[in-house]
Order: sequence, then structure tokens, then C-alpha cells
Amino acid sequence: MISWLAYAVIALAGIAVIWGLVTAIANKPPGKAQLIYAAVVEVVTVVQSLIVAVRLALGARVTEPATTVGYLIGIVILIPIAWFWANNERTRFSGVVLAVAALAVLAMTLRLLVLWNPALLG
Amino acid sequence: MSEPGTLRRPTNTGIGRVLVAIYGVFALAACSRAAVQLATRYHEAPLAYLLSAVAGVVYVVATFTLARGTQASRRLALVAILIELVGVLSVGTASLIDPAAFPRATVWSLYGIGYGFVPLVLPFAGLAWLWRTRAPIKGAIR
Repeated sequence: MISWLAYAVIALAGIAVIWGLVTAIANKPPGKAQLIYAAVVEVVTVVQSLIVAVRLALGARVTEPATTVGYLIGIVILIPIAWFWANNERTRFSGVVLAVAALAVLAMTLRLLVLWNPALLG
Repeated sequence: MSEPGTLRRPTNTGIGRVLVAIYGVFALAACSRAAVQLATRYHEAPLAYLLSAVAGVVYVVATFTLARGTQASRRLALVAILIELVGVLSVGTASLIDPAAFPRATVWSLYGIGYGFVPLVLPFAGLAWLWRTRAPIKGAIR
């Protein structure tokens, strides 16, 4: 894991959560900028998963390798699925759908950080 | 999605799409958790890990049936959500009374405390949504 990249993903995802909720409260479907932003969050998340996967392949040690790999895969499929689900019917709730996916990405990245470095919880 | 003869409002529209998204996240979480547990250390806590798998299946069924939103899928969704409700209440209570029987966490342990208690709230939200969409669409019967 690269801490600053993980924190970047967490921050980007956090903004996506807030953005999704704000458009829902404003009773608007997600705008173009918001959808592009979600794609950017996705790209950074994919980059992170690739880097961590390479480091694991090079022999980096984690307490739970299987769980870590599961999270690395799971984390990259959430936003694309939510993206299509949100666009398939565009209402205020599309923003909430994006927020749900971004919140899951945020939570999973936090969990990945702890799996990588259990001392963070100490 | 509303085929001719649909008497009830579809479950896959409006706020229902948010419910499907949350069920989807839990389907992913519970299934991958169960897959890892069963594949790497089944012998440590077979009961807890099998329950994880059951939870995963229930979430997958609820996700797809709510997303489909037809009459037939509503019935399946109701069954899945009722199993989910019984599961989270019984596993939650059992893990509280007899922690030794649940040495390893499932999504339903301690009423889903590891997932911000969302697993406890979700079946109630699901039932409420099925109840709210039970009403016929105005004019659909005529």
C-alpha cells in the first residue's frame, strides 16, 4: 500500500459521497462533471489496486493476503456498476447510488490500510 | 420494466434503486468474505463461515430480484428479505449470548456491528419498500 495514495482515494471518494448527496438534496440527477469525477475516482482506485497487486506479487507481506486480494478486486468494480445503475434511470436517487458506491470504496480502502499495516489501529 | 398486467409498482425505480445499490454492496461484501473464509480457513469456524455464505446468497437474491422488479421477483425478494431478517436477528442474538460459537465474525454477528449496523436496518428497509410498492399503479387494473 502507498499511504498517500490510499488517503487520496479516501478523500476523493469522500467528496463523491458528499457530491452525490448534495445533488439528491437539490433534487437533481448527477451532472456531467459529477459523472466524470466518479470516473476519475475510479481511475485512481484502479491505479492503487494495480500498485498494491504488484507489491504483493513482489513479496510484500500482509496479515490476510486472501482478504486483501478480495478487497483489491472488489474496490474497482463498485463505481463502474453504480455508474451504469445511476445512469440507467436518471433521478435524484442516481446521486445517492453513486454516493453508496463511493462510501463502500472509502470504507474498503480504510480496511485495506489496516490490513496492510495493523499498527494503524494500535 | 412494467409488463402488461403488472398490478404493483416496480421495485427498481426511484429510491428503490438506492436500496438495490446497498443490497449490491452487501452481496459483494458478504460473498467475498464467505469465499475467503471458506477457502482459507473453513475448519476454524465452519458454522460462522457457512452462515456467511448463506448471508451472501440471500443478499445476491435480494439484489437481483429487487432490481428486476417484476411480480414474480417481488415474491422471491420477500422470501430473501425475510430470511435476511431472521438471519440477522438470530445470528446477532446468538453471537451475543454465546460468543464462543461465533469465534469469527460474519456480516450478521452482533447485528452487523462491523458494518455500521446496516445489516440490521436493511431488511426492515427492504420490507418497507415492498410494502410501499404493493399498491396498484393508478388505473392499471382497469
